[in-house]
Parts: sequence; structure tokens; C-alpha cells
Amino acid sequence: MDLSQLPQQIVNGLMLGGVYVMVAVAFTLIIGMLNFLNFTVPALFMLAAVLMWAILEGHGIALDLTAIAVLLVLAMMVADRLQQARLPPPVKTVGALGLVAGACVFLWLTLSFRPGPAVFAWLDGAVGAGGRWFLGIVVALATVAVLSLLIERFTYRYMKAKYGDATEHALPLVSSLGFLIVIEHTVISTWGSDALTTESPFGNASFEVGPVLFSVPQLLSLILSLAIVFGLSVMLKTTKLGRALRSIAERPDTAPLMGVEVGRIVPVVYVIAGLLCATAGILFTINYTTVDAYIGDTVATVAIAGMVLGGLGNVWGAIVGAMLIGMVEVMSIYMVGATFKKIPIWGLLLLILIVRPTGLFGHTAIGKGKF
Amino acid sequence: MSGYLESQLIILCLNVIYAYGIFLPAASGQLNLGAAGFITIGAYSSAWINASGAPMYIAIPASMLFCAAIAFTIAFPILRTRGVYMVLATFAFAEVVAGLIINLEFLGAAAGYPVESHADYLVVVPVTILVVLLCFFLMSTRLGLAMRSIHDDEAVATLFGVDVRLAKVAAFTLGAALMSLGGALYGHHYNYIETQTFNVLLSIYILLYVLLGGTQTAWGPLVGAAFFTVVPEALRQIATASGHAWIADSRFIFFGAIIVLMMVFRPEGLVTRTMVDRAATPFGGGRSGAAPAARTA
Amino acid sequence: MADNVLSIEGLHKSFGGLKVIDDVGFAVKRGSRTALIGPNGAGKTTVFNLLTGVYPVDEGTMVLDGRDITRVPAKDRVIFGMSRSFQNIRLMPHLSTVENVMLGQHARARRLGDLLYPLGLMPGNRWARAAKEALEDAGLETYPGQVVANLPYGVQKRIEVVRAMISQPKLLLLDEPAAGLNQVEAQQLLALLEKVSASGVTLLVVEHDMHFVHNLCDHVAVLNFGKKIFEGTPAQVNDDPLVREAYLGSDTSMAGQQNAAPAAGAADAP
Repeated sequence: MDLSQLPQQIVNGLMLGGVYVMVAVAFTLIIGMLNFLNFTVPALFMLAAVLMWAILEGHGIALDLTAIAVLLVLAMMVADRLQQARLPPPVKTVGALGLVAGACVFLWLTLSFRPGPAVFAWLDGAVGAGGRWFLGIVVALATVAVLSLLIERFTYRYMKAKYGDATEHALPLVSSLGFLIVIEHTVISTWGSDALTTESPFGNASFEVGPVLFSVPQLLSLILSLAIVFGLSVMLKTTKLGRALRSIAERPDTAPLMGVEVGRIVPVVYVIAGLLCATAGILFTINYTTVDAYIGDTVATVAIAGMVLGGLGNVWGAIVGAMLIGMVEVMSIYMVGATFKKIPIWGLLLLILIVRPTGLFGHTAIGKGKF
Repeated sequence: MSGYLESQLIILCLNVIYAYGIFLPAASGQLNLGAAGFITIGAYSSAWINASGAPMYIAIPASMLFCAAIAFTIAFPILRTRGVYMVLATFAFAEVVAGLIINLEFLGAAAGYPVESHADYLVVVPVTILVVLLCFFLMSTRLGLAMRSIHDDEAVATLFGVDVRLAKVAAFTLGAALMSLGGALYGHHYNYIETQTFNVLLSIYILLYVLLGGTQTAWGPLVGAAFFTVVPEALRQIATASGHAWIADSRFIFFGAIIVLMMVFRPEGLVTRTMVDRAATPFGGGRSGAAPAARTA
Repeated sequence: MADNVLSIEGLHKSFGGLKVIDDVGFAVKRGSRTALIGPNGAGKTTVFNLLTGVYPVDEGTMVLDGRDITRVPAKDRVIFGMSRSFQNIRLMPHLSTVENVMLGQHARARRLGDLLYPLGLMPGNRWARAAKEALEDAGLETYPGQVVANLPYGVQKRIEVVRAMISQPKLLLLDEPAAGLNQVEAQQLLALLEKVSASGVTLLVVEHDMHFVHNLCDHVAVLNFGKKIFEGTPAQVNDDPLVREAYLGSDTSMAGQQNAAPAAGAADAP
């Protein structure tokens, strides 16, 4: 074995881990608070990456999809208000029908006007090349944030645990799998399932430190993702939101009695988790310039491994775990070949789940299941 | 039978067998996201035994025994985990199996592995019917009652004398044997297997069939697997016949949306025990819905 | 003391550093109706959980009908003749009423043939018949597709008693049977328990409702802070200074309940 490559491999492992970190933290936030494995995380990651790609490549239909997502969530919000309002049932029915009709009209307007090409033409003329970058980032973040609100409703707010039996724990998980299928197939039926490529604005920019080669976008995204996650964990430690979140995680049923507005906090956490995925997705497009409808699945399985390694619900654990998994992956590819990488990662994971389910660092208040 | 119908029937049969393999543990409250792992073990072990000279009729039961032995061994550590941990542990198990097989040269590694003996629908369909009957029988027994009690309330089941660990291990092991059977039949029908076919998506879909069909009665997995095999295929046919390609493209979007809506409006699955009870006694059943059953004593 | 169905000696249990049960010992005579009372947090339900094996015992012995059950695993204790109802109803929500009762038969169906008998496919089998009869004897009837969770609270309580009784216990443990019941429901439950007791089963009842205790029980043990502070008849319990002290502030209401007791008791007399 050629050990001279080792420093380079360690750096590569760290870079790879950087992509996983944000996805792992998104998983761990939802698990930590609501105790369910949120499979919309890979979908949102992939959607952000693909939207970023689509806007860079000037696909107007990305804007249509965003419009539809926003529309859906607005309709849900109005519907919720309508339901809570003290109105006689016939008025509510008329309101609901009106809502549906309005949504259809808006959908028809969006699909017939197709603002995409005009927006891109204006953008390229007025702002130049950077315009699409900016628009891509905004659209990806906004779409994912809005979808997170929709997902929150269907995986948390509308769920009614009636008996607290064993398979009821699975309802949010199944629901999130439904979203995963919807989002993946929306992308597939729009752009197909093949690899989609674009060009990086950074080109092949890189620099060397001694024997080690650093690629500029990779280094940037590693720093950015660590900074975001660090900021987040500080926020969770110090702010009122963080305190509320931790109290929900530890005692979901008594938190409301302590004045924690669960109904307000949960959507915020979904949006935070969604934005983490979206940022990771955007960085993925910038780094690797090639995306497809299935990138979420591959990244998410590894991120899940990282999360388990660090202990479910433990933000710092997820960071360290994801970095470690990135290292294990790169090292096992480097030492024994790509096909072998699954065994060390998943073997380690299985071992940890059985021997030490709280993860490497212990300390977690959740995941005890019943009793 | 036409080639198309036969191929669809085979897919349906395999999905039904897989679904019962996941249903047995699910009925006793365990979520198994490792279907792909057991299916892989079944498919490869049967193919390998077959290749070593044994006929298919020996290779398939042998592979089931082998898979059951593995499941029995890992059941004890895995069943110590609960809820989301069990989902993750079974998921990890399936990944380890895939990772191992892809590195085993004598099983063809990444290139896939050819299977000698062929099993046509005259083998697959009767076996599927036997599996369905077996599961119906099992769920109607006291063991089935014990499994359903564990699903609802483990602690109380224990206090009434149910050996919770035994029932759970039995359900998990038997389920693994069924999935192994399904995998073996898959291999012998298509005469070629590769690990990529049995991926995490397969595990996810099988778990979905079961949870959407309902875990309370043995009808659940049958209805779930049939519904979610037939409906997307029917939509594809409609799309081809009517020339609206968008129906075929977006059928999985509908599929996903149905899943999301079902979890809100019918979280216990398509088939519930109440439904089956009432259907079984059309005249005596359904007496004024939730009316109290108390005679004034 | 040869004819004790249950005798407990020197029972200790701590959670963390907290002593929940501290050297508790008492005996339950065969055929008696013993009440275990005490203020909130006295350790009554913990005693039940130790008896049924939900928690392991730190120290002490429990003898059920001449057999030491201290180290017997929870699932086997029901075979030795002890079953229980729960403080919060713990019926299986996805099982029908009859199936819930049939769960109570589990301890009696030990053979492989019993485990693999297709109960669901043979509607008239003896197990299902026995369960239906037991329900009818308790004044409950069922219909197909019945959802236990939709039944009134009082009916669910009685189903729990039927489920516990069908395991043919020598000792029936009842954890706050009257809690949450209205007057009529409590009377119906009382009638059922009278019947159970008349059939020779010993009752051990944890109960807050002193009125109910006076009506049902002939023997009382009082716990406070994990210690037994009194044992005797229901009539003596209010006069005991230690018990009065334990219930300090509520002894006036207890006196009131005791005054009401004879009238209710007369109404119950067969």
C-alpha cells in the first residue's frame, strides 16, 4: 500500500464527510424531537440539488414546480384556518370548494403562462451569469422550506396516534416514504432518471498544500457546512427555541404544560431540517456538477449511518459520526476497493445498534419506544 | 396463459410472498426494513445449492432453512432493539448482506449469478397459495392471537403468560424463511440474480405493502401487495391504451400521494379486523356501530 | 397461617436511591377480600407490579399458594394462579372483546396443539365458547366486529375482570377497579366481584374509594411511604391513629364515607 497518498485520502474523507454532515444533522433533529426516521430528508436534498441544476441550465419548468409547491402549501394554510374558524358547516364547504377552484385556476394560469423563459432572459440580460446562481439558490431554498411545511402537516400535525401500539410509531415514517416517492418521481417524470450535468463556476480551481490537493468548492462547502451546523448547535444550546425543542424531545406530552407551543415549534424544526438538506443539495450541485433523481438515497444511507454512530438525536454526535463515516468510506475504498465499502460501514452500524444503541457518545433522551 | 399475464402473475406472487415475510414480524409489532437482505440470502443460497448439484426441490427448502438459521441467530440481538432502532438495525443488516455478496467471487460478485433450474408459474403460483394459506392458518391460532397481543401491549401479554420473546423470534424467523422462499423463487424464475435487484427500495416497498394493507389480519399483506402491484401496472396499461403517456409517468406520484393520504385517513391499513369480522357475519354483524354491548346486569 | 393464598415477607424495592417498598409483609387468607389502601405514592401499585413480576424484587419473599414465586418470571406467574386487572384499562385495542378474553386463556393453553389450534377458523371451538359464556355470565354480550375502545369505561373494566378470571386464578389482583366509574357502573362491577368472590377466588384490591372498600372487602392493609402501617378489618381502620395521620386532612371525608357504608351495604345484600 502506498502510504504517501494517506494525507490526501484523509482530506478527501473530511470533504466527503462535510456533505454528509448537514444531511445527518437534518435526520437527527427530527429523530431527536419526534422520534421518527424522516425519509423526506433525502428527497429534499435531491430536490434542492436538481432545482439548482435546472435553474443553472435554464429549465423554466423548475419555476413552475416551485409555484405549484407554494400554491399547495398556501392552500393547506388557508384550509387549516378555515377549519379552525367558527363558521357554520355550509360556509366551510363553500369555502373549501372555492379554495379548490381557486387553486385550479392558479395552476392553470401558471401552466399556461410559463414564466420561466422570460425570467431567464431578463435575468441573463440584467444581472449576467451570477443571476442564475442567485436565483437557483433562492428557488431551491424557498421550495424546500415551503415543502417542509407541507410535510410537517402530513407527518406530524394531522397524525392521530390512537392506541400507541407498535406499528403506530411507523405512521410518520410511512408518510415520509410516500413523500419520498412523490418527490423522486416528480423529478423523474420531469427530467428523467439519467445523470444531469452542468458546469461549475469554479472550474477546476484548486490549490496544493505540500502533497495535498484541495479543491476550492469542496473546501468552501466543508467550511460552510461546518459553520452552519456549528451555528445551529450553538443556537440549540442558548436560545429559547433550542430550550423548547429539547423539552419537546424529552417530554412531548408535558412540554405544552410548561408553556412550550409545540404547534409552533415543530414546523420551525421541519423548516430548519429542510433548509439544511437544501443547502447540502445546493453545495452538492456546485461540487460535483452532476446530479440525478437518486443522489438522495445514496447520501442519506451514509448520513443515517453517521447519525447512528453519533447517537440518535445528538447534533454533535451526528457531526462527528458523519465525518467519521466519510473517512471510513474513503479509507475502505482506498485500502480494499469500492465494492467493499458497505461491509465496514454497515457492519459497524449494526454492531453499534445492538451493543450500544445510544451511539458512541451516549446521552440521548429519545428512541426508547414504548415503556 | 399469455406471456404478459404470466409475467405479471409471477411478480404479484413474489410480492405476496415477500409481504407475508414482513407481515409476520409486523403483526407482532416489529418493523423489519431488512427484507432485501433475507431475499438476497434466499436467492443466492438456493442458486448456489442448485449449482452444486442438488435439484431445485431440495435447494429451495434448504435455502429457507439456511435463512431461518441466520434469522434465528440475529433475532436475539436485533429484537432487543425497538421502534426506530429496529428499523435501522434490520436496514443495516440488509446492507451488510448486500456488501458481503458483492465481494464473494464464487457467487459472481458484482457481475451477478446465473441460476440453473427454472421455476415457471406452475411452481410459483401453488407455492404462493400455500404460503397464503399457511399465514391465514397461523394468524387464526392462539400463537397468532399472542402475536397480535404483543403488537398491542407487550407488558400485558407477558402477564397473561405469553412468552413474548419466543413469539417474536418465531415470527421473525418464519418471516425470514418466507422471504428466502420468495428470493429463491425469484432466482429460479428469472434464472439470473444480482444484488442490485434486492436494494433498499425493495425493502421499503415491501414494508409499505404490509403497512398499507394492514397488520391486523392476514388479509392485509395480500390486499396490500395485490393493490400496489396491480394498480400501477393497470395505470401503465391505461396510459398505453389511451395514448396519454403522462399517466404512466406520473403514476408513482399518485401512488406516493395515496400513501401520504392513507396515513392520515386510514392509518390502520386497508383491511382492519373489524371489517373482516363484519364481512364474515353479514347478518349478525355491524349492530348499530359502536353501541354499548352491556345488558343491564 | 396455613391457609394463606398469598404471603409476603420482608419485601424491599428501591428505584435509584428511593425506597419505594420498605420491609412490607402481609398475608392474604384464602377466600378473603383484602384491600390494600394508602395515600398516593404509598407504593400500592408497586406491590402489584412486584407480585406480578413487572419489576424484580430487591429483597424478600412472595409465596403464592405454598409456592415461592419470588424468582419466577412474569409470564409464568399466571400459571401458578394469579392474574390482575390494571389501573388504566389495558385491553388490547385491536382485538375483539372475545379475543381479549381468550388472551386470558393463554396460560391454560400450554401444549403445542393448543397453540396451533385454528381458533379463528373454527367459530364454535371450546375456547371461544368458554370466553363468550364467561362474558355472558358477567352480563356482557358481544357482536362481531366490536371495537373494545368504543365500549363504555365501566364495560371495559368488567371485560378486564372477565379476562383475568378466565385464567382461573386463585388470587385476583384488582388495581383501582372503581376508579373513573359512575355510581351505576360501580354497582355493576361490585356485583360481578361479589360473584367472583363467591366462586372461591381470593381478591386483593388496591382502591382509593373507601366506600367501595367498605362494601367489598373484609380485610384491609394500609401502606404509607412504602411501609405497612396497619392491618385489620375495615371497621377498625378509621380508628387507627397511624392511618388517621397518614390520611391527615382527609380523615373527615373518610368518616363521612363510613357513615354512608351501612346503607349501601344493605342494598347489596342478596
